[in-house]
Order: sequence, then structure tokens, then C-alpha cells
Amino acid sequence: MVSFGTDEIISRIVERYSPMLLHLAAARLDSPADAEDAVQEVFLKLLTARPAFRDAEHEKAWLIRATLHRASDIRRGAERRNLPLEEAAEPAVQEDALDLLSAVRALPDKYSAVIHLYYYEGYSIKEIAKTLGLPTATVGTRLARGRERLRQLLKEDV
Amino acid sequence: MDRKTYREAFDQIPFSADFQERTANLLRQRARESEKENKMTHFSKTKKMAVSLAAAVALLIVSVSAALVWLTPSQVAERNEMPLLAEAFAGPDAIIIDETVETGDFAVTLMGLVSGEHLDVLNQDLDSARTYTVLSFRRLDGEPLDNETFDFTGYTITPLVAGCSPAAVNNWTLGAFASGFAENGAYYYLLDTESIEMFADRTVYMAFYDGGVPKNTIFTVNEDGTIDFCGDFTGVQALFELPLDPAKADPAAVEAFLEENDTGWTNERTPMEDYVTTEEETPDGSLITIRSADSPETKVAFTPVSREVE
Repeated sequence: MVSFGTDEIISRIVERYSPMLLHLAAARLDSPADAEDAVQEVFLKLLTARPAFRDAEHEKAWLIRATLHRASDIRRGAERRNLPLEEAAEPAVQEDALDLLSAVRALPDKYSAVIHLYYYEGYSIKEIAKTLGLPTATVGTRLARGRERLRQLLKEDV
Repeated sequence: MDRKTYREAFDQIPFSADFQERTANLLRQRARESEKENKMTHFSKTKKMAVSLAAAVALLIVSVSAALVWLTPSQVAERNEMPLLAEAFAGPDAIIIDETVETGDFAVTLMGLVSGEHLDVLNQDLDSARTYTVLSFRRLDGEPLDNETFDFTGYTITPLVAGCSPAAVNNWTLGAFASGFAENGAYYYLLDTESIEMFADRTVYMAFYDGGVPKNTIFTVNEDGTIDFCGDFTGVQALFELPLDPAKADPAAVEAFLEENDTGWTNERTPMEDYVTTEEETPDGSLITIRSADSPETKVAFTPVSREVE
């Protein structure tokens, strides 16, 4: 078993998973800075909790789940305290893309996770089910309902 | 919307260019701090040992501290980033068991379980409930287990049900997701399966053992349907009976489940001497072929795939 604490392993984990986890967190959080905080906390959690993984897929699934939980916590925490999340600083994002990002972020957690893994990561329904520990049928239902919600939010064919 | 449009939108998000470098540096710094703390803890423990105390008093102190440092099921859920589950373990639906079996050099404690829907933020619209079980594992000699050296995959924790084949009701058929971590010298497992409450009018077990998929070299099914470890199974083993509420049983769901998963069971083992095993090295690994000694027909052939964590 590999120790996460070594420099080499830290570099590998951060390099391999950062892009995926940042985009995943950004599907829940408006601000890139909030998404970066969420992912950094997940890596710190990995360092301190040091869970054991059966294989690389298990490691990835843990990171994905932890990121979704952390992003939801940050979002819920802000909502509970009735505070606005940090303002999005996305001047480089085109208007169409901003509409799409806002629509995805407006979806309930359970739909956005599936939508993001399907559309951004290119996962199959089966792969999403395995990663999230959900029955395949549930993932299919979430994908269909998530698409429908997005269609309503974007007022276009999804 | 297609995948390309979606990706293009998300790829426009301006994350910090130095995020990876900053994060890796932060983690390296934390890792060094943690290593330093561990060394200091080790040093102070060594120093403490040098102070001569009466053995009985020392033992008393050790057991009191041990009782104080074990995590609760709720804390195990928290460590797994599952706050809703942590709340459920502290709530009225949780079944706290806290029963310990000593086996070989180890103590296995079934800490508790809780079943229900909406216990994980990712499972909030599941049509069916899940059961979450927490179990701890530690050495009897007090030698700590840690994440670096403990082989998480070497052991299995799985539900089994009397009257049902162990091959039909287990982790593999119940869609399990297991995770684990070491803390304060103990190793904690969190097992997430389809709800086992449907079996509640039968004897339901939680088994922990050294090995993988349940098979007849590990378990034996008695005439009355109860399940035991085989008399000649020498690995680490613990079998707990779960105090589920029979009112929650769902015989129709059980029937449907078994119809889909029951492939039968026999306690009789096929003597291996009747089989010939050959092994051949291939570019993808070893090709192992097993065939009956009196027949040229191949019975089983497979190539093991490397599952090394990079």
C-alpha cells in the first residue's frame, strides 16, 4: 500500500485529479475560488484520514464523493447562514457558457453530480453507478430528470 | 446539449494557474508537520515507558485510554464525509451493537448499523433504502494497525442470511461499497449495502473474515439453514447475529431478490486432486487453466489482471 504522505505521491494525486475535481466542485459552486477551497480540503482530508483503497478506481470514487460532499457542505453552509456565496469571478466566460454553468449549479445535488460526470467526464451510466455506489437504474433516472430540468432552465433542447 | 458544448462551458472557468503547485506545496508541508508530530508522540511514549509504574496500574491506564479513543459509528461516518449518516448513527433508528469477538491475534467489534433512505447526500432519491454497518478491527497485543501496512482488501465484511445461500446474499449481490481507515491503532470499516431489513424475519448475520467471495471452504450451511464458518477454516473469523426488527421484513422483496441471485449452494467440496492445473506466462500475466483429470475439456480458464495502485 502506498503512503499518501510522500512527495511523489502527493504530486501524482494532485496532478492527476485536480482538473477533474475542480470542474466537479464548480458544478456546485459559483466561484472558482470556492471550488479550489473545496478540492484543497478534500486533498487535506485524504492526507489526514488516509483511507485504504482497493485500487485506483476506488481511490477516484472516494475523491469524487468527498468533493461532492464538501461542495454541498459549503453551499448548504452559505444558504443556512443566508449568506451569498463568494461572487463568481468569471469574466473570461462567454454568456452562453455562463447560462449553462448557472443552470447546472441550479440543479439539486443528486442531478448535477450525474449530469457532470456524464457530460464532462464522459462516463457511462454504469461507470457513474459504480463510482457513486448507486444502482444503475437510479443513475439513469437522475440523468433523465437532470436533463429535463436543464432543458426547462435553458429553455432549449438538451 | 452535447458533451462538447458542456465541456467547452466548464473549460472556460478561470481556475488559478498555480492551484496544483500551491496545493501540492500545502500538502507536503502538512505531511512533514504530521510526520514530526508522529515522531514527537513516539518519543514521548518511549519516555513514558521509561518511568516505572506498577504493571497493574499501567494496564489500567492503557485500558481506560483505549476506551476513550475508540471512535463511535457516528464519528466513523464523519470521517467518511457523510454528515447525514453521522446524524443517523446518533439517532433513534441506529442499532448500536458493540459486540466483540476475539479471533486469532485480533479483536473484531461490530459497532452498529443503521438502515434508511436519504442517509447519504448522493443517495437522496434512491427508491430503496441502504444499510450502513460500522466495524472495527484491532490487534489484541496492542500493536497499532495503520493505513500503510494494513491490507484492507485481505478481509471481507458481508451480510449473510440463514436459509439463504451465502452465494446468494452477500456484498457482491447487495451492491456493497466498503471503505476503511485506521485511527488510534484500530482499523474501521464502513460498509454500505442495499438494505438488509427485508430479511429481518430470518436470522441475519454480519460476517467478517480473512478472504473474499463466500464459498464452501469458508462457510457451511447447516440443515436448519443457519450458517457457520467451516470447522477447518483457520483464518480470522467473526459471525454476529443482527438484532433487526422482524416487523420490517419484506418476504415479497426477498423472494424477488433470491429469484435474481440464488445460484444454489453445496457444502460438498470438489476434491482438487481430480483437477489438473497448468500455468502459462503470457504478455498480460499468467494464464491459469484448470481441467478435470479425466477429461481434456477445459473447465475454468482465466488471466489474473494486475490491480496495483499506482
